[in-house]
Amino acid sequence: MGLIVKTTARATIPLIGIFGAYVVSHGHLTPGGGFQGGATIAGAGILFLIAFGFGEMKKRYDHHLYSALEGLGGLVFLGIAMLGMGVAFFYNTLWHSGPFFNGQPGTLLSAGYLPVMNLAVGLKVFAGLVSAMVAIAAYGRWRE
Amino acid sequence: MKKTFGALALLFLLGVLLVVASPSTGIKFGLGGDEWMKYRYTDQYYIDHGVEEVGGTNIVTDIVFDYRGYDTLGEATVLFTAIAGAVALLRPWRRDEDEE
Repeated sequence: MGLIVKTTARATIPLIGIFGAYVVSHGHLTPGGGFQGGATIAGAGILFLIAFGFGEMKKRYDHHLYSALEGLGGLVFLGIAMLGMGVAFFYNTLWHSGPFFNGQPGTLLSAGYLPVMNLAVGLKVFAGLVSAMVAIAAYGRWRE
Repeated sequence: MKKTFGALALLFLLGVLLVVASPSTGIKFGLGGDEWMKYRYTDQYYIDHGVEEVGGTNIVTDIVFDYRGYDTLGEATVLFTAIAGAVALLRPWRRDEDEE
């Protein structure tokens, strides 16, 4: 892409990333959550891919790292859900009797496992969407 | 004539569905006898008890990650399956390499 697109992307990609991180980390307090924030951060990655081209993306995209991140997100989600297994699957034991994340409702360190799950789902969605876009760009069959 | 009849029949079916599916006049199913509405429409319960039972002030996150946790689990599985399918379909196949 041209110089204007590249400069604009350089300026906006960090802001999009910061906004996505805010949406993920405040998912239990304000509108949004892991899925939406992860998609926002993935939007920053897709903007990078479109603005700077696939060659530049290939240097910075590590396939093994991203598949490990996606697996980590899913496993953290399941593991946190397993924590309340004494009562039920998906029981929020951190909130009712946990050592941490059980502050006043409305503060950042409250709501039990919700912030951790938001982080896990955000990581999973970000890694998954960026991987899908890179796969589509890498195996494109429309050139020639 | 046939078209008019078909449209009228569709309208009639739609009206019957609207009456049947309406909470005040329709069929009542599920738990609870007289209190069936309380068990079928749980939104007010989530708004009243969400903060105290799950802790997040964002009720949607409370529902998605606690009350409806299995749904989110399936959603994550769907995302993973979609990406795996996209990669499996888009990658170069052996037949394509033979043709070139």
